Parts: sequence; C-alpha cells; structure tokens
Amino acid sequence: MGDALRFEGRRVAVEPGDTVASALYRAGVRTFTRSLKYHRRRGLFCMTGDCPNCSLNVDGDPGVRACSTDARDGQVVLRESGWPSAEHDLLHVADRLHRFLPVGFYSKTFIRPRFAWGLAERVIRRATGVGRLPAGRPAGAKPARAVHVDLLVVGGGVAGLAAAAEAAAAGSRVMLVDERRLGATVWDTRAIARIEALAREATAAGARILERHTAVGVYEGPFVPVVGPDEVLHIEAARVIAATGAVEAHAVFPGNDLPGVFLSRGAALLGVRHGVRPGRRAVVVATTDEGRASAEALRTTGAEVLIHDGPVIAAEGSGRVRAVIIETPSGRERITCDTLVLSLGWAPRDALLRMGTDQEVAGAGEVVIPGCSVEEAEASGRRAANGRTETSSEVPTVPVAGDGYVCLCEDVSLHDLEQAWDEGWRSSEILKRYTTATMGPCQGAVCGRLLAAFAGARADAVATAGARTTARPPARPLPLEDLAAGVDESIEQRTSLHDRHLDLGARMERSGSWSRPTTFGDIEQEIGAVRHRAGLLDVGTLGKFLVAGRDAAELMDRVFPVRVRDLAPGRSRYLVALDEAGYVIDDGLLAALDSGRFYLCSTSGGAPAMEAWLRDWIDRWNLHVHLLDQTAQLGAILLAGPSARTILERLTDDEVSAEALAHTRHAEITVADVPCRALRVGFVGEVGFELHHERSRGPALYDALLEAGRPEAAQPFGLGGLDTLRLEKGHLYLGQDTLPDDHPAKLGLDWAVAMEKPGFVGKAALERMRALPLERTLVGLRIEGEPRRGVPLLAGGRVVGRVTSCALSEAAGGTIALGWIRATDGSFPNELFAGESSATVVPTPFYDPEGARLRA
Amino acid sequence: MSLMVPCPRCGPRPQEEFTFGGELRALPAEDIDDFARVYLRRNAPGPQPERWFHAFGCRRWVSLTRDTVTNRIDPDVIPSGG
Amino acid sequence: MRELARALVGVVTASAEAGALDLLLVPGRALACRVADDELLLLSAPPVTDEVAREVATRLAALDPDALVIDTTDGWAAISMVGDDARASFGLLSRLELPDAGLLQGEVAHVPAKVVAGDGRVLILVPSIWEAHLHDRAAKALGHTGPLEARPWAVSTS
Repeated sequence: MGDALRFEGRRVAVEPGDTVASALYRAGVRTFTRSLKYHRRRGLFCMTGDCPNCSLNVDGDPGVRACSTDARDGQVVLRESGWPSAEHDLLHVADRLHRFLPVGFYSKTFIRPRFAWGLAERVIRRATGVGRLPAGRPAGAKPARAVHVDLLVVGGGVAGLAAAAEAAAAGSRVMLVDERRLGATVWDTRAIARIEALAREATAAGARILERHTAVGVYEGPFVPVVGPDEVLHIEAARVIAATGAVEAHAVFPGNDLPGVFLSRGAALLGVRHGVRPGRRAVVVATTDEGRASAEALRTTGAEVLIHDGPVIAAEGSGRVRAVIIETPSGRERITCDTLVLSLGWAPRDALLRMGTDQEVAGAGEVVIPGCSVEEAEASGRRAANGRTETSSEVPTVPVAGDGYVCLCEDVSLHDLEQAWDEGWRSSEILKRYTTATMGPCQGAVCGRLLAAFAGARADAVATAGARTTARPPARPLPLEDLAAGVDESIEQRTSLHDRHLDLGARMERSGSWSRPTTFGDIEQEIGAVRHRAGLLDVGTLGKFLVAGRDAAELMDRVFPVRVRDLAPGRSRYLVALDEAGYVIDDGLLAALDSGRFYLCSTSGGAPAMEAWLRDWIDRWNLHVHLLDQTAQLGAILLAGPSARTILERLTDDEVSAEALAHTRHAEITVADVPCRALRVGFVGEVGFELHHERSRGPALYDALLEAGRPEAAQPFGLGGLDTLRLEKGHLYLGQDTLPDDHPAKLGLDWAVAMEKPGFVGKAALERMRALPLERTLVGLRIEGEPRRGVPLLAGGRVVGRVTSCALSEAAGGTIALGWIRATDGSFPNELFAGESSATVVPTPFYDPEGARLRA
Repeated sequence: MSLMVPCPRCGPRPQEEFTFGGELRALPAEDIDDFARVYLRRNAPGPQPERWFHAFGCRRWVSLTRDTVTNRIDPDVIPSGG
Repeated sequence: MRELARALVGVVTASAEAGALDLLLVPGRALACRVADDELLLLSAPPVTDEVAREVATRLAALDPDALVIDTTDGWAAISMVGDDARASFGLLSRLELPDAGLLQGEVAHVPAKVVAGDGRVLILVPSIWEAHLHDRAAKALGHTGPLEARPWAVSTS
C-alpha cells in the first residue's frame, strides 16, 4: 500500500509529485466544484491556482486550491459545493432558472419580508457552497517578522530567478518568494532545467529564496507582506520586481466552463508533469506556438490529439465536454471529443504590478512580455535587476464567440454583462460592483481583462469605461489569522503596585491603556472605609511632569487659563487645559516647586497628549523649558479618609498637621523611609494625601501604609469605589462627563479660568463664546430610581440631555448623577425624567458641600 | 504599508509612529483673524505645511510639507511659521 | 538566541541647550544616547549611576547653567539580547531596521522604545509602565519560557 489520501470516504492513491488535483483526476474525479449561483459542474481548468474550479476542503481548511496543494499521505479531502453532494446536486435546478435569477437579482429580491432575512442568509450561504470554517479549531498565530531587503522578487520562474541572481551578484540584499515550489507550474523540461540552474546561481550570489511563500500585496513603502507556512514576513524593500508570469487567456463561448475544457498549460501540467491523461480525445485550439508545442507533448500521454486554429464557436455537453464546434476555413465543424484545450494568448498575472507605482514595482518576464521564450524571460529579469523598467506589451483581446461564462468564480456570463449594460451600468468598475465579476477568489486573474474589454468595446462606452479595475490586496485569498500575524493584543500599562493588587485579591479592569483595580472585594464596604476611616488608592497612573528651565513659568502661564505667577512654592492649584478653540482637553493639578520649577499632574489617560501639547508650544514659542515626563518614573498612592493623617503620622517624622500641610499645599516628606512628594488633594472629598514616589519604592510604601493603617482598618479601594466617591463631590470624569466641545462654562468650571490674564491658549475663543448664550450645561441630578448611566434626560416629552455618571449613594441618601442638558427656549429645565424615573437638578457637591471634611 | 515621514533626528519612519498635528497654523497675533486661524483650514490640493509629532521616537515636533494629492513628503522643504 | 535577560541599567536624563550637549564630555562609564537636540540619556551600570549624574550635572552646569540633570532610572525597563541571532530576532519585535551599532528610537513591541545596538548585543529600553508587556512579548517572540533573569548592564570596555 503506497501513499493515499481519503476523498469522500474513498482511498485515492498519491504518486510522488502529485497535487491533490492530479491525484483525484487520476482516480477519475471530474467534477471538483459546483459554481456559485447556478451550480454548474466545474472541473480542472488552469492548474496554476488562478481559477476557482478546484477549490476543495483539505484537512478541514475550506477553499484550498487542489491544483496548488501537494498531495500527502493521510490527507482528508472533501468537495464543498453542491447539495446534497457535488455529484448529485439538487440545487442545479438554479441553472434552469436563469430567467428568475438575472444578474444582480439579490439586489432586487429578498427585501421583504424582513423577518426572513436571517433564514434567507443562512440558506443562501449554504447554497453557494463556498465552504465552512473548521469548527472548534483555534485560530493559529503565526509570528510576523520584519525583513529589510534592497530587492524583493515575487515569482521564482526564469525571469524572477535571473533578476535575483543578477541583483545579488551586484551586491544587493535580495529575497525571492514563490507561492509554490520553484518550477511547480512549468511542464517544459528545458525551462525546468534553466530554473534549477538559475536558482543555484542566485543562491550562490547570496540571494535568499523562499518557496511556498505568497506575496499578499504591494503597499506604500514598498511594503510587501508575504505569508509562509510558519511565518508571515513583513518585507520592507527598496524595490520590488514582480515576475509573476501570465495566465492563459480564457475565451468566451457557450459551454466554455464545462469540465473537460482546459487551458493548454493546465492540460500539459496534468498530462506531462503528473502523467495523468486529461482525456481520451482532445481538441487543441491554438493560435500560439507554445500551444501547438504542448499539443504535441499531450500526444505522449496516449490521448488522441487534434490540433486546430479555431476559433471555437461552442463546446457541447451536459456536465462535461462531449463535442466542440470549430470555425474552419471550410465552415463550421462539429468534432466529438472529451477534452478541449485552449491556447489563445495570455493574460499577464499583473495584480501586484498594478498595485504599486512605477518607482516601487517593476515587471519582468511574462508579466510584461506575455508568451516570451525562456531566453527572453531571462534577459528581461536581468534587465529589471539593473533598473531598466519594462513596459507591458499590448495584450490582444480574445474573440468572443457567443454567450459563455466570463467570471467563473461568480458565475457571471456574457449575457449577464449585456443585461447589466442595458440596465445602465456602463463601465468596468460599476459592472464589477453590480455583477460581482472579478470579485471572487481569482480576483480577476481569469476574467479581469474580459470585463475591461467588454466595457471598452461597447459602442456607447466613454473613454474610461474599459479601464482595468483597480488592483487591491490581497492578491491571493488568505485566512484572517495570517492578516492578524504581528498585530498585538491589548497592550497593558501597569504601575509598580500591580502584583500587590493581585496578592490582595483585586479584580482588575482596563481603564484606558492601564490595568487598574476595580475592587478588592466589596465596593460599598470600600466606600464606607474612605468616608469613615481611611482608604488607599493606587493613582500611579496619573500623568506627571516636571517643568523646569528659565521659561517654565512663562510656558505654564501662556498655555493654561489658570493664574500661575501668584502660585508660590508649596502651593498647588486645580488646572483645566484648553485647546485653541476653548474646549477642555484635560484637567489636573499644577504644583509650584522651588527654583521656578513646576510639577504638573494630568489625568491618567491624558499624559501622552499633554506632553505633545506642551512640546508643541515650547517649540513654536521657542521657549527654554525642560519638560520631563515622569509618569512612568513616579508612582503615587492616595491615602484618604478622616483617619488618613493619623495613619500618616505613624510613618513620618515630617510635619503633616492641618496647619503644616493644609489643603492644596504640598511638601517633600519621608514616609516609611521612602522620599515622597505629598500633595493635599480632595478628589474623593476627604482629607487626602497623594504620595508621589520613585516607582521602585512603591510596593514597600504600600505595605507600610497598609500595616500602619491596621488599627483603623484602612482599606485598599479601586475604581469602583472611586467612581461613587468622586461623584458624591460632583467631580467630573473627562471623556465620560464631558463632550468634545465643552468649554469651561458648560462644565461649571468658569471659576477655574482666570479671564483677567492678558493671554492664554483659548482665551480669544472663550471671549467669543461668552458673548453667546449658554446652550448646554453639565448639572447634578437626584433621580427617583435605580441608577442607569447613559439614559436620556427628558423635559416636556422631548430629549434634552443624557445621564453621564450615576450611582446609588449612601452618603447622599439616594441616586445621584451628573448629566448634560440643553437649554430649551432660553432656559434650563429643573424637573426632568431620566428614562422613566423622575429627576431633579440639584446643586453639587451632593456630599459635604462646604468642603469641611476635605479641608480638615 | 505606511507613509514614511522623515524625522530630522530619527530618520524616515512609518506614519504610525507619529501623531498628526494637522495643517500648520499661524500663532495667535494681533493682525490675524483669530476665528479663521482657529477654525478654518485651507484644505487645498497640493503642498501643505503640516505638523507631525514623533510620538514613538524622539517625542518632538517636526514641520514638513506634504503634497495632499501625491502624498509625497519632500524632506528638504521645511515650512516656516505658517 | 544565546540569552534574553532583564537588563539592570541606570538612566540619567540631561536636558539642556543643544550646543551644551554637543560639547559635553561624557563620563567614560556612561553611554550617551542623544534622543533629541535638547535631551541626552546617559546609560550606566546601576552602582555608578549616582556618580554619573553628579559628574554630568557639574560639567553641564558650566556649559548651560539652566540645564536639568535627573536620575530617571525608575522611568525605564530594559531587556538585553545577546547572541548571533539577536539581530535577526529583533525583526520579530519591530519593523525598524537595526543599525550595526548605535541608537535607534522607534516602535518596538508596539510601544515607544530606545534601542542600543553594538558589540553583539541589543539593549531595548521602554518606559517602565510597559515592563511586563516587553518581557512578555520578547519572551514570546524568542521562544523563551520562564521569568527573565536579571543581568546588570555596563558600558562595554571593548
């Protein structure tokens, strides 16, 4: 028993060098697929991976080109199309219903009833037979590797290898990729020998040759992703040479898609290379020397071969070729046969070439000189390597003899194109979109030229109607998992307390780019701890900047709308950052240090943008400022609550009393032997000390605080508790409670803006807006009902706003919220509905409005 | 698969390494209509002076001229204040 | 891949006028990375970082009295790759082309990084908020299992 694959329950022998297609054909399989719409039988045709006819399910993978896949012992192969099977397909009835299934019918039917869409979609998807994804198999993850080369050659035929050899010998870093093994699509032994010799020459010169690597497309750069069996290469090349060859031209006549119709290279590959006779009696219609040569070669397979010049008028047969009608000088002749082989010219495989600009991609070989000899191909490759670009030769159009299939992938016939044209779709691009021609797996490899020629030849076509449709990646179908190679999953930013949080049982969440604790067990309990005892919050995620240099104060004063000149060392001020349109882009804290330096804190997500923002002004105004982003370098822990000071005093000898370190003051102190910048802050509404420290000292500081806080049962808390605590004080979350066009007045932050300053970024815009009535504002709300964020706010039955934050608050005795409301008839409503619950606008803060607790 | 942006310090880099700062805008000045300066853009086809921030590299700004039709950046044409 | 390790590197950031940084004589035990016209990162072995910071502050003050010199070691996390295929493995982490020797700034493992190449080794520094991310991606790319060992880094004397 030799090697064998399993095909629909049968054992099929595999000979050395077989592809799945050749093995199956040898075993008698003639129908490989059923076409997309009309379920017509389709068989082997091109044998080069350009047409869709041989798409099978191989080892669970759908849509595998059998002609381009090596056959292996133990493979499991199935046909995917046809119901219940490809051989006996009941849906073939569609072929007789052409009248009811005209081109574009799916755009005109199945619109009603809408409830049937789900069912219709499932049924239609099954009916097309494009294959099913392997269920339960996890997506693979190929690594992506960046490679830098001077020259990338796509295509390992004679021209490509010659180009690689030539360039490598001249000292360039060269890489050559071919989607198959070198020479796999060549049947001529002379050409195969030349390929082997050139491959040796290229390798000896230092070129890297990668077989079974498929180029996906040419992107700006040029950048060419190449998919290999184990890796995806991201190739940055100085130049690309596309030596991708040509497909033989496909002719249009009735029956041109029947099993038994072959392109001559396909028949020769099957017969000569794989030793599988395409049929007993073959009619070869050749207008090329190569075609006639391949016909001679076919005779060696034992087939009876009749050679004609053509043209072909029709191929007859039901489900396979039984006869062909040829136009001869003496009139039409009907010849019985089981195989029709066509060699009527070439369609360059030029998708990659057309994706790039002239500077990026050059062509070599058959892709620019279709049908060239081995010697011409080699010369073309060497010329391309030396920088001499070749313009493509004119490709003569193939005569159309009657209604046949233009697009095999999408089952678009010549009649369909004519009908579409009559309906008014009058250019190749719009015909493509309406009929879906060229939008199948072959992406126009077989039919792109035919479509363009059809449009261009119409009597009433405009000049551009016959242009080739735009070539876009991917040039070959590829699985999504290959496109995802190298794309990262979520990237997490962490503070130095991350592991400590996990040790303490924290449930972590993503907050922007950061990983932060939501809670350590019980959010309500944590809120209570902060209000009645003390809590610890990791705020190391805050943006932190050291601003120094002789123009530091000048920069702060000019950029921000807050008073800066009167901020004495040891004091800090709430800061809102505006853009030139006066809109709030961030908020934070500005602390004045000694020697004219400042410490600026921004929101956790705002640090990168704040740095860019400030650097822009430093540059444009040419200021002497040292801006150091210390967001990563420094951690910060908030100790807040009525007992916060008591706990802190156990760990420091420095003065932290209410007088020594009052609200909005800051000082450099040492806590548990860790040098800290302690800032008095009030975000959660209790006495709070934000201890900023060198990142590496964070865990030790945290441990010391927790230990020192045991008598008071100090409690670590997270974002879950923070959300309610800050809401009780009416503090907004940027991005959640704010809209992109909120200027300070709309947020009730006018108090933070010093309009009396001679100038600051956004001042002119604010002056303009102050002259206008305020049309929207953020307000505090009490809601009679369960908290639901995002519900609309209604007044008089109309939507006037939205709830942006809300929570059930024990301290405030009910559901509190922040939301924005629009003015109606010049005033803001007070009594509203939040969804279905009644709501009242109330002043904020909801808790401790005088701020007595946080100023203690 | 990117536009290459020439950073004067770091060399040509893929556009994903940058934050795009838009058309180069004039600084606030007495004789310039501030409304037009802040809200309006030329948005014309052809060479456009622009600001780019090399966020993944040196973290500094660069002014350059990009042709909005050809998407080509000429590294030698540095726009002035705008 | 002979070795992938966590590199212990001391970092001093010097911010000053371009002219002053041009003229600065860098202490021998530090590797200078000019990341911008007005910013210099000095890498050194952790035991001598304090000394490097003091020396540089003194020398720079003479050239630019307004200069700022700060130990920013905690702001960075670093890994080192040593071995013949260190350079080839870099392609799994970044699409940038590694120079034979010198500084490269750009995107590595999808985060902003400073890369120092030379003497058969590659040092990658990222802001410390991405320390775990860098270790994870580098280990995955290089097929390294288990935690990374710590290796003190020093300016090579070759």
